[in-house]
Amino acid sequence: MKQIKIVTLVALVMFVSSCEKTFLSPELTSGINSESFYKTEAEIEAAVVNMYDGIQGVNALKNTSSTLNHGVQVEFYLTEMRSDNTRTKSSEGEAAQFESYTIESTNGIVADYYRSYYNVIYRANTVLENLDAASATAGVRFEAEAKFVRAYSYFNLVRLFGEIPFVDKVISPLDTETAYTRVSTTKVYELIISDLQFAVASLDDSGKDRASKAAAEGILAKVFLTLGRYGEAQSLCESIMSPSRGFTLQTDFKDIFYNEGNTEVIYSVGYLAGVNDDSQNFSAEWLNSVGRGSGVNYVTSDARTSIDALGGNRKLLSYREDASQPGQYQVVKYLPNGDANLGIPVTSSDPTSAGNDWIVLRYSDVLLMHVESILAGGASTTSSNALASFQLVRDRAGLTTSVTSISKEDLLNERRVELAFENHRFFDLIRFGEAQNVLGAFSTANGLGFSATDLLLPIPQVEIGLSNGKLGQNPGY
Amino acid sequence: MIDIVKKNKNKLSRLKFAGLITALLVLITLQSCENNILPEIGSVADKTPPKAQFSASENAGDYLTFEFSNQSASAITFAWDFGDGNSSTDENPSNTYPAEGTFNVKLTASDKLGVVSIFSSDVVVVKPLVVVIPDPTLINFDFTKQAKSSGSDCACSGWINKSLGAQGESTSGNGGSDNVIKFDNDEHDAAYQEFEVTPNADYTIKIVVGFDSSAGGANPSVLETRILAGAGYKSGYTPTYYTMGADFPQDGFGYESISSIEDTTNTLMLKILNHPNNKDYKEYTYSFNAGNNTSVALLMRGIGGDGTPSDDKGFLYNNGDEEIQVDSVVITAN
Repeated sequence: MKQIKIVTLVALVMFVSSCEKTFLSPELTSGINSESFYKTEAEIEAAVVNMYDGIQGVNALKNTSSTLNHGVQVEFYLTEMRSDNTRTKSSEGEAAQFESYTIESTNGIVADYYRSYYNVIYRANTVLENLDAASATAGVRFEAEAKFVRAYSYFNLVRLFGEIPFVDKVISPLDTETAYTRVSTTKVYELIISDLQFAVASLDDSGKDRASKAAAEGILAKVFLTLGRYGEAQSLCESIMSPSRGFTLQTDFKDIFYNEGNTEVIYSVGYLAGVNDDSQNFSAEWLNSVGRGSGVNYVTSDARTSIDALGGNRKLLSYREDASQPGQYQVVKYLPNGDANLGIPVTSSDPTSAGNDWIVLRYSDVLLMHVESILAGGASTTSSNALASFQLVRDRAGLTTSVTSISKEDLLNERRVELAFENHRFFDLIRFGEAQNVLGAFSTANGLGFSATDLLLPIPQVEIGLSNGKLGQNPGY
Repeated sequence: MIDIVKKNKNKLSRLKFAGLITALLVLITLQSCENNILPEIGSVADKTPPKAQFSASENAGDYLTFEFSNQSASAITFAWDFGDGNSSTDENPSNTYPAEGTFNVKLTASDKLGVVSIFSSDVVVVKPLVVVIPDPTLINFDFTKQAKSSGSDCACSGWINKSLGAQGESTSGNGGSDNVIKFDNDEHDAAYQEFEVTPNADYTIKIVVGFDSSAGGANPSVLETRILAGAGYKSGYTPTYYTMGADFPQDGFGYESISSIEDTTNTLMLKILNHPNNKDYKEYTYSFNAGNNTSVALLMRGIGGDGTPSDDKGFLYNNGDEEIQVDSVVITAN
């Protein structure tokens, strides 16, 4: 009996000593890990830059692994190609599922986007949980940037997928409850609004490739418009429109896209031409057989009709006929290899590593959001306040006839031609409550398969599989 | 007891046997009864029963017509009951209602196994309001001499804000008696009133004004008229819209400092009326947009002076060399 006690005691002692952290997981001295990193302000800033890197995504022509995240570079598939604006050139592959409204839950592009933006959210949460080593001033700025990025990501995800998992902290792989529980859109929007309000209060207007006060105000204005909170949206737009903020329309429509960092851009995703890790390939994908396929994001005849009728001088700078395939039309915004006829310079000697920045928010969008906030869900407005903002956008396009009244349809059409191929059309249709009417008619006219459930994308099948079926699918898939 | 059990053992075992047969028979009977209900070998339970769901949106051109967006899962056939006697079996139907009212719409979604799910929701049919923007109400808009909250009767009743200037006093002009408010020469008189507006509506403002004698001195008088945004009211301030001149306090309004009224971000309209070089009463017409405000303030004051008021009360502005009289201010919605 006494012997057994001794053995037990020895065993206990051994057990206690093995519990000590340094014994099983000694401090790593020769490498970097997440425990030892984020100990200086520079290291936290590296985490901040890492968020933008996630949005930027990987150039799929230079880093060809299909498991990489492509971020904003694949967004046009999910938005423009799912609207009446664009389609694939040859109806090939899973990219063609978008234009025909036959998206499968196994679609790899949908999974790529979903994965990318949850990864960006993870990167933002990582910043938010490692702010301790930053100085007070820098700490607030990093926190605001992380909250902006998280809100921007959630705003895209919630509009594309509806009810989605809600991750507002760094979670472990075992926390499947958080990763695979879909929450109400109301709860997601609450986080988006509080994050953006923090960003508005804490940031200034320095920089266009990173979060700024104006970027946060503009995205928040769009959130409020989406939720029908028009007065709050109007205040935010007017704050950006205050002359002291320095945002203006470019006189030449072309300069918006080919004079990067101009005063019309509020927030853009930066790319560098010729740098494998910082260039983009979406510009190449939109050309004829320069990207991975024969060409995507080609302009529909429906969009051409609209731009021809309402575009003014924006027409030539919106689409062009494909020189090597007459009868097919390409987007002219974001050309990597220029167009001598249009006076567009070559910005990337190698079009497959393009440097064209992706513009998320620009001033004319804000002006048209200002009109939308005054229209306030009504059928039309004659408010001089709305007319002034609307006229500024029209004047720049060379359409200088005075507008005396703006209907909801006028505004939706103006947004379509002003912001064509900039990933706004699909969200605009939904926000204006016209998606079912417009896309239904477009689908009928072109023999496509649109139905009401196509307004939400499928939750990627791979996520549902990983969740062991816990994650539910959207209706219609 | 034990003996009895022993005695009956054989009998008991016989009984047991009979019971077993009965049980078997019952079992067989039961089994044959349940045959229809039990699943076939290898069959799998229906893990995806239909789930009915829809949303409805008003047609853009016709408030009586609603477009239904079917969001049902795992369903093949649909039966709609629109609540007004109409029905449909389309996947995404539309329905035109006979009149305004609340209608309970029921969607029955079923799959090929005959499993049914029902979802119902109310559709409210309302005729869109024709937006009529009311004219704002200004109290004592024609500057009639009347009681104020303290002190003697005055044409300025309802128009005093002691934080922004001295009160304009009563005088006679434009063919009447004690019927106009005056901004004295070389003094810092002002008139201020807050009123309710419709956000972003356009308004026309008509002011009947006369100036004393002709300009010509070093400091000709100028009438400044401002519309100030409610967004610029002091923090936490909620305007009160009084109905009688005598009800208005004389201080403590939304604007309390000269710097705040001169802040361009607060100014929705700024009109400068220079001395017309005659004594005639004339009507001047301006317009403004209410912006993102439900309340705004009208401020009129005489400026053009040398900056050293004769009745110095601490304001750094003063009227020029001639008295200015205002007979009325009328604001209407466009």
